[in-house]
Amino acid sequence: MTQLLKAGLTRRSFIASTGAFGAASMAFPHMAISQDGKILTVRSYSDLQILDPAFRLSLPEDDIIRAIYPPLIEPVSGDTWKWKTVAAASMEQLDDLTIAFTLKEGMGFTDGYGEVTSDDVKFSIERIADPANESPYAGDWAALKEVEVKDKLSGLIHLKNKFVPLWTTTLPTPASCILSRKAVEEIGGKIETTPVAQSGQYLLSEWVPKQRTILKRNPDWKHEPGGFEEIHIIPIEDPATAERGFESGDLDYTWTSVSSLPRLKENPPAGSVVLEKPSLAYVWLGMNQDNETLKDVRIRRAIQHAIDREVVVDAAYFGAASVGNGIIAPGLPGSRDSVTYDYDPDKARALLADAGAEGLSVTLDILNQSERLTAAQVIQANLADVGITCEIKQNDSGTFWSLGSKEGDYFMDLQLVLSRFSMQPDPSWATVWFTPEQVGVWNWERFDNAEYKDLHDQGLVESDPTKRDEIYKKMQSLMDESGCYVFLTHEVVGAIHKDTVVPGLKPNGESLLSDFKPA
Amino acid sequence: MLNYAIKRLGLSVAIVSLAMFLLFCMIYLVPGDPASVALGPRATDAMKEALRVKMGLDQPIWVQFMNFFMGAWTGDLGEEVLSGRPVLDVVFEQLPYTLVLIAGGISWSVALGIPLGCWAAIKRGSLADRMVGILSVAVIAVPSFVIAIYALLIFSVTLRWLPAIGAGEPGDVGDQLIHLILPSLAVGLGWVGYIARMVRASMLEVLEASHIRTARAFGLPDRTITYRYALTIAILPTITLLGVGIGQMLSSAVFAEIVFARPGVGKLVYDAILTRNFPVVTGAVLVTTVIFVLLNLIADLIVGALDPRVRSSF
Repeated sequence: MTQLLKAGLTRRSFIASTGAFGAASMAFPHMAISQDGKILTVRSYSDLQILDPAFRLSLPEDDIIRAIYPPLIEPVSGDTWKWKTVAAASMEQLDDLTIAFTLKEGMGFTDGYGEVTSDDVKFSIERIADPANESPYAGDWAALKEVEVKDKLSGLIHLKNKFVPLWTTTLPTPASCILSRKAVEEIGGKIETTPVAQSGQYLLSEWVPKQRTILKRNPDWKHEPGGFEEIHIIPIEDPATAERGFESGDLDYTWTSVSSLPRLKENPPAGSVVLEKPSLAYVWLGMNQDNETLKDVRIRRAIQHAIDREVVVDAAYFGAASVGNGIIAPGLPGSRDSVTYDYDPDKARALLADAGAEGLSVTLDILNQSERLTAAQVIQANLADVGITCEIKQNDSGTFWSLGSKEGDYFMDLQLVLSRFSMQPDPSWATVWFTPEQVGVWNWERFDNAEYKDLHDQGLVESDPTKRDEIYKKMQSLMDESGCYVFLTHEVVGAIHKDTVVPGLKPNGESLLSDFKPA
Repeated sequence: MLNYAIKRLGLSVAIVSLAMFLLFCMIYLVPGDPASVALGPRATDAMKEALRVKMGLDQPIWVQFMNFFMGAWTGDLGEEVLSGRPVLDVVFEQLPYTLVLIAGGISWSVALGIPLGCWAAIKRGSLADRMVGILSVAVIAVPSFVIAIYALLIFSVTLRWLPAIGAGEPGDVGDQLIHLILPSLAVGLGWVGYIARMVRASMLEVLEASHIRTARAFGLPDRTITYRYALTIAILPTITLLGVGIGQMLSSAVFAEIVFARPGVGKLVYDAILTRNFPVVTGAVLVTTVIFVLLNLIADLIVGALDPRVRSSF
């Protein structure tokens, strides 16, 4: 400092130069990291927790896993559900129980683990199916008998029984990602957060917990290359924070909250494109049929008739979403145009009088999110109109997702609950949660119907689209008749990206990182 | 002094022990099954049970408490539920970000609060004094998350001068400092008001002291009297106030870390509570409690060393 002062730096000149520096920095707006088009910066709603395809926990992990451990096939980005080969050169269903695959040539694992072979496919698939490994995704391969290795690059997948969702919700997911048998066995059988023997279009090069994950293009990938040299994945749980991050130029792509969509569509940030995709999610008001207050089906039917679904959805999603009529989204077999109950407060009052339930009081449990609260408040007003007092109980996510569990102590006290599930593009993914086996697990309404279960099992092996459509429609009618459900909406998925980026998105708006390209 | 230090240290140990007990009770009372939340919808009952056993949740409550208590005193805070990483590693990975954020907040509060307080004291009763008074109360009254959101909307979204999210490129100090400006402002702005009020009050008291009158009588310049003789004394209570304020800044840091998507202990605890990752919750809260208690212990020991009255009154 003394030397600086000797060199002529006075306090006055220091302040002047600091001010000039500040002014200069403000004259040049903050630039995004990805301005050169080589780096793509995207938001994920959760941080990396595990990189093992057999034990993955969230969609953002699916995306990373698919990029670094190539699946046999994956969904095509676009508006219709189709698949394309990634690690497989060809995939063919030989008969109901046999699928033949041949791998692309020249795919290699990093860290000196050699070429990707059909034996690695056998290992990767069978370890998920093996009950001893306790993979939560064992059900995806429940129909698997074995994977037969024919030669270095080809093999056969043998099934025990016909399994229709295999091509929609098993093979095009990380359940078909290929790991190195040798590498995984060397580390004790499970990959945590440090990847071993990667082989995909991208390689995971850096993970800073809670801060970012960086994928770099795999220089040894000999097939269609990834669109960007690097993909930076920033974990941001709150969609509003992510939207601000996009608007400030820090992100190239993010999902948005549904309630922000009208604002963003009305006034999109400069140089950006706002997307609205149909969602596969389903939101409904559930009623616990084993709860003493709601045991009488007339009371549950009264509540169905008391709720104006149109108004609930309009208020909660600011007009961005439309009313849904079941658990199966439009475009899939079993999707319905209507429900078997309509908004009829007089009928609701009559049913309540018939059941001797005038002056009824109920509780409504919800997750503490603004959309749910708004929906709950409209439901509360609707119920008040027919003489039912409704108390709204807000829960944080940790509490909410245990409310109906038979292991807790609240499941019988649970009365009304506003829920949202998401699914894969096969109707069986929606219907499975309401089977009798799921009572007290995820079937919080405790809806217990043997015919429903039979139909669910039929749907898994029925490949005729018309018959499947009938099966799943019938199942939802049974749900209507139980009085346990008021179906509200399938929501929509909102996303926003810079016009310098072409996003790779599944028809339901979920991202496929390896399909993002520069515009 | 040794006697005072031993007593003060014993009190700190008691405070940390009590905090551990309360923390454990709160965690135990929180509804929600950690295994179900951690493993997601597709986990089987057997998998959930295995995780409960791994987390020690199948043990009687008093065994769980003793394991937690004894482990904590030996530096073993357990392992993160899913990754199996030591909790201490996870916490120490995030701690620097929060400490830097608080240091930034203190810098803002000192850099703005002390000059404003001095100016108000010198201009006592003037319009400037009243304006500083109003400004001080205003920034104290506005919650830090409101400041954070407005700062973000103005400087990041509208003007695009500063980044909105993240903590900057690892290893790039300049980038990290730029990413620190808005979050630290959000954390520290409320304390500008406290410090300005405190410095003003102290300065007014000191400016009336006899040694200042003597300095004036000797004809020393006002600038020298204010900054060399008055402020050096008036600033002492401010330092004590900042020590206490670190605790409050820690809670403000949670909001700043969420709004600006910054890594840090606050966000770590928030995420861990939502996912019922109890080892991380207890570990992170315990580490921050120990740091807070240690800072206060150090402050008390310094004051005790400087002022014999404090030692004798304890």
